[in-house]
Amino acid sequence: MKKILLGIFLSLNLFAYEVGDTLKNTMAQHLNIDNSKLYVIDFYASWCGSCKKELPLISQANIQIDTNKVEFLGINVDKDIQASMEFNKETEINFRVINDSNSIIVSQFNPIGIPTLYYVKNKKIMKIITGALDNIDKQILNDIKEME
Amino acid sequence: MKFTITIIVLILFSGCTKEIKPWEKGMLAKDSMKSSSKNTIGKKFEEHMFFSKEASKGGSGISGGGCGCN
Repeated sequence: MKKILLGIFLSLNLFAYEVGDTLKNTMAQHLNIDNSKLYVIDFYASWCGSCKKELPLISQANIQIDTNKVEFLGINVDKDIQASMEFNKETEINFRVINDSNSIIVSQFNPIGIPTLYYVKNKKIMKIITGALDNIDKQILNDIKEME
Repeated sequence: MKFTITIIVLILFSGCTKEIKPWEKGMLAKDSMKSSSKNTIGKKFEEHMFFSKEASKGGSGISGGGCGCN
């Protein structure tokens, strides 16, 4: 009983997806992803300045990939859906976006910062990039080459 | 019994130390959260006074809204 209580206490709010972890089936369904492709999942927000700089580069990378093998997926973590929709339009994102205004997805992934990129293949987290990079488009394309 | 009470107390007190997650920091990034947003000239004057007196500056703002920028 003591061990169970201690376990419950220690596990409170401590879970986060790390490299090598496999996504739960419910999460995979929520994100609408399967085993057929490599998924590049980007967590961003309208209030994050570096996300604004990074997103056009990610959209550029999205043009250069084989969409049969790779899919980009954006998770907008804004609480305000209106702001989130306006931001998506403003940044001309050319990939599928999920508005996670209730923080259901982001709280499961529990990234240490925004923006954060996750590479997911066969529902397994292959790599995580936290923070914005100046050459994120090149970085993504290189990573995709390595993972294919 | 003591152990159970300790665990219950720890769980209750954990509410006092709730961590603000990175995706919850949008509010901090708003212009209205900057202390100088309403009175820029006054703020500059204050900073000048501080610099003249202390021979140091900075440390009065936040850099961004909690994003994990490199």
